[in-house]
Amino acid sequence: MNPGSKALAEFVAEATEILDALARDLLVLDERRGQEADPDLVNGIFRAAHSLKGLSGLFGQERISRLAHGTEDLLDRLRLGKLLLDGAVLDALIEALDAFQALLGEAARGTETEVLSGRVDAMAARLASLGAPTEVSEDDPLDRLELEAQVRSVFTEYEEHRLRENVRRGVALWRVRAAFDLSDFDKGLAELNARLKPMGEVISTLPSAQPGGSHGIAFDLIFGGQVDSAALEAGLEGTPAELSPLGVRPAVDVVTPALVRAAQPAVTVRQGAGKSSAAGAGSEKAPPASRPRADTGAGSELGPRESGRDTRGGGKATGAPGTAASSDAADTTAATSRKRREDSSDAPTRDAPDVSAEPRRADAESSSPTKRSGGRKRSSRTPAATPSEEQQPLLPHLSSDGAAQGAVDWPTSVSEGVAHLDVSDPGAPASPGAPEPHESIVPTEPSPAPLVAYLQGAAKASPKGLSVAPSPPAAGPGSAPAPSVGSPSAQTSDTSLRSLTQTVRVDIGRLDGLINMVGELLLIKANLQRLAESARQDGAVALSKLFGQELARETRGLERKLEALQEGLLEARMVPVGQVFDKLARLVRRITREAGKEIEFVISGGEVELDKLIVEELSDPLMHLIRNAIDHGVESPDARLAAGKSRRAVVSLRAEQKGNHVVIEVSDDGAGIDEVRVREVAITRGLITFAQAQEMTRRELLNLIFQPGFSTARSVSELSGRGVGLDVVKNNLGNLSGIIDVWSERGKGTSFHLTLPVTLAIIRALLVGVSGRTYAVPLNSVLEIISVQPRDIRTVERREVLDVRGQTLPFVRLARMFALPDRPVSRYFVVVVGLAQERLGIAVDELHGQQDIVTKPLGGRLQSIRGISGATDLGNRRTVLVLDVAALLEEGMATERRRA
Amino acid sequence: MRVKVLIVEDSKASREYIAAMVEAVEGVEVVVTSSGFEALKLLPRHRFELIITDINMPDINGLELINFVKKNPNYRDVPLFVITTEGREQDRDRGLALGAAEYLVKPFVPGSLEALLRRYLKLP
Amino acid sequence: MSRFSELLDDFFYRPDEDVTGLHDFAAGSDGVRAIAPEEVPEEYLAFRLESECYAVPIRGVREISKVPPLTEIPRAEPQLLGVMNLRGELLPVYDIKVRLRLAERPPLVAGPDAPPPPRHARILVLRTQTGPAGVWVDGVVGVVKLKPSMLEAPPPGMRTGDKDCVVGMGRRGPTLYILLDAEQALAP
Repeated sequence: MNPGSKALAEFVAEATEILDALARDLLVLDERRGQEADPDLVNGIFRAAHSLKGLSGLFGQERISRLAHGTEDLLDRLRLGKLLLDGAVLDALIEALDAFQALLGEAARGTETEVLSGRVDAMAARLASLGAPTEVSEDDPLDRLELEAQVRSVFTEYEEHRLRENVRRGVALWRVRAAFDLSDFDKGLAELNARLKPMGEVISTLPSAQPGGSHGIAFDLIFGGQVDSAALEAGLEGTPAELSPLGVRPAVDVVTPALVRAAQPAVTVRQGAGKSSAAGAGSEKAPPASRPRADTGAGSELGPRESGRDTRGGGKATGAPGTAASSDAADTTAATSRKRREDSSDAPTRDAPDVSAEPRRADAESSSPTKRSGGRKRSSRTPAATPSEEQQPLLPHLSSDGAAQGAVDWPTSVSEGVAHLDVSDPGAPASPGAPEPHESIVPTEPSPAPLVAYLQGAAKASPKGLSVAPSPPAAGPGSAPAPSVGSPSAQTSDTSLRSLTQTVRVDIGRLDGLINMVGELLLIKANLQRLAESARQDGAVALSKLFGQELARETRGLERKLEALQEGLLEARMVPVGQVFDKLARLVRRITREAGKEIEFVISGGEVELDKLIVEELSDPLMHLIRNAIDHGVESPDARLAAGKSRRAVVSLRAEQKGNHVVIEVSDDGAGIDEVRVREVAITRGLITFAQAQEMTRRELLNLIFQPGFSTARSVSELSGRGVGLDVVKNNLGNLSGIIDVWSERGKGTSFHLTLPVTLAIIRALLVGVSGRTYAVPLNSVLEIISVQPRDIRTVERREVLDVRGQTLPFVRLARMFALPDRPVSRYFVVVVGLAQERLGIAVDELHGQQDIVTKPLGGRLQSIRGISGATDLGNRRTVLVLDVAALLEEGMATERRRA
Repeated sequence: MRVKVLIVEDSKASREYIAAMVEAVEGVEVVVTSSGFEALKLLPRHRFELIITDINMPDINGLELINFVKKNPNYRDVPLFVITTEGREQDRDRGLALGAAEYLVKPFVPGSLEALLRRYLKLP
Repeated sequence: MSRFSELLDDFFYRPDEDVTGLHDFAAGSDGVRAIAPEEVPEEYLAFRLESECYAVPIRGVREISKVPPLTEIPRAEPQLLGVMNLRGELLPVYDIKVRLRLAERPPLVAGPDAPPPPRHARILVLRTQTGPAGVWVDGVVGVVKLKPSMLEAPPPGMRTGDKDCVVGMGRRGPTLYILLDAEQALAP
């Protein structure tokens, strides 16, 4: 690999990781549409876009960089509260994600199409123009916060914004100080964060500049608490955290009634400068007294702070152009802050008590949270921060048509949604720490399995969603041409969900395990070396029995360790199938909208693990099946109601491990497949004769939909669409040594079962001999081996069968199947293979035992060879072909059908 | 003896890239980390002559790291470079205000970084 | 189609049309060769199939290998002789003699019943659009440099088989090399 392609591979690998994370977070936002977005989540998405921008800029990926810039900019406005996250913004972000994936695909291939470049330009322009700005309040609540300018100067713009939001909402702010040992402070902090999160928002984590002894380090966490002080103290019990409140002065001389209502809660402060507020706070159980604060005091306190900020501003103004100027400015700031540090010497704890508590300004209703010990979460909130600011993020379009929009978008939650609007309860918006506030909107079944409920997709909602899309069909290969629902072209135009990178992220624990095994192997090697050495020195002397025993023991150890190492390496290749499920979930929303259906998409078993290679190859077939289910399997809401079903259809995707195989099921509760029509079509197209059709079971009939040539564009509408390219799906799965099976009941639904091996990389195989050739049969599909005499083979209606324990087993002779010269044998070995319900006996001449093999695919020019899945090298330069059991099974069954 | 430079950047590709550029300067040894926390742990263990840090990082942000370094008597003289991307001037300005010596805008121009390194590390 | 465009259509080149005469005509009349200031020779790898000498541009040849044990692929197209394992890489090996009408059927070279390969036989590993492919040859002659002036169109009689595998002739001294289009020769 040359350096350029290595760099490109690195770029693609990291960009893929970033996009995966972005996709996951967007999915969460999408699921919680209409609720206030979790700031952490939005910030995470911003960070992803930001990283992508930096990364692509670094690697000269100009188009990705440009789009990332636009995306980052939009997200920056979002997280800083300058923009509302409404449906249009979310749709745009999801489309940008699609575009990123298409761009990355082109980057990986080293191509650059005009179509996509045009799409990037359009996207970027759209992102820039998006969104209604939020109302900006003239008054900066941060100016009222009793926090040293020095501390504030360390905040990023985002942290500052979060702090501002918390002040504006009247959230009680705390400074949580904790000292840790330097060696493991991150663990301590993680634990502290875990405790704090459910009680509010950790706005910033500041390492204390004070040298914390030689081995210690202290942190100040700025925390917006949603619980009262008693609960907070209780929640932090056992941690080294010390609490001190941050005071907020009242809004200065009320200007508007809105501001009156937005009055701040009082922050309680214990009287006097006790030695440590935390010691006191820890013991404090009674509601602390708050005392009114003189306005003059506020004024005088404001002075130094303001000047401090001015200095900083000066640094900002002159600092940018040149180094000299900036360091000067920095020195000034540093000097100022050092001085301030000295002033407030040991800690904010002394500073804080000086900051007096705030009186309730306007209404008694919004009294200090700390006074409401034990109050319910909701009531402990201040009910009336500036209403416009509070409500808008909740449901973006508050105009009358906006309300209608909401009702359309969330068909099942109309009542709740509207309730939110009308009651205008600011306690309702989800804030980061509030536990599960979403349940009221999304009726999710409480289930241990991950469950994704999709509430999108009323037909009437789509025009709005589409109207904002500037990328018409021109969107190109990256996106589905939206309006052509159900046309075959729509089937093929989805971006492939395959990831562009070969990277597997391996859990460090697993790697350590592998390293340990290598260590043990080295030990064994050393022992063997020693034995070899002693054998060499003894020369002609007959080796002792003891020596032989020792050698045998070491060899056994070697064998065991090698097995474990192999197993460990295979495990390292395993990834949860959920990786691909998540990507699919994102697509479902779009497809649903395009198809004008209402669908709940249910996922389970995402934790089931499969070989990375298989998971990758699975995404396209699964996407195809899900698309079919939504486009054609599921009826329109009205048709469903008419059929006595619920408006909303359920499409589910489940994975389950069954021994050496994983079964993935894609099912819907739609109209089902009409097997009578399948039969007619199959006869019309000459796939089966009328006589054959007479003999076929229902299951066999249904499985005809996988026949190449069964489906055409026209049969789509004739047959409620089943069968679009299903032969392709079947082939894809065949390449993975998997098989697909369909079950359907008219009026009740359809389900596809995909049976797949857990891994393809190293498999245990049975080596068999036929006519002097050797073939390998993957052992995971071998059910049993039986020895039969030629006379045991019966001929029933011109086909050969075997009776095995009273059951008739279809049977093929591999030599005949492969047109090899027949050699007379006195008995056959019949290898009984099976996948799902299919069984087939394969007769061979000899058995050569089992061996672990590494299968190489017959790539390039040999892909179309039937019945062979790959080849393997057995050492001594002998190449042995690996049988494709799924293909042979299918062929055996087809032969049987033909003969029938 | 080679001088040590600490690079704090959570994006792997950027980190490797910057590290490669810094390492290309003779007489410089590079220590890299992906998080502010790790940086805090590394500080007492090495004697760094220069720190290059990103601003937007998950645990503690780069500004906090700068502040920590600049306020700590043991490290306050270590020059700091801030890594920013185009369009995030706010963060850059705050970094400079807190005492960062220079800022680097992604994507970087290798030559300019080398010149800066030589200047601040007092290399020939 | 209008009458006019039908007439016009007669003037358009069709890929399946025999234009050898035209080429000859052009070569004789045009004098393009005369203006070419300097001739850059191209290197070809010459090899033997039966008694004929063939050549392919050497940049299309990845490597030359002795004949390893070949594994036959059941039910494959007849010209696929089998697969070989070249340092862990799995490569298909093809026969092109049948296509070139040099033999009635592919030789039996793979499987347990195959005799040991002739001493001079080699496998040429060629780069093709669908990946590397091995071609069985009866012997490798060597590398020849052919200037454009040494090349000529194949005689009409050479147009054998169902594909146009022969792209021209190269004459150097007494030897005549039949220039092959490997892609065509290996096309399914």
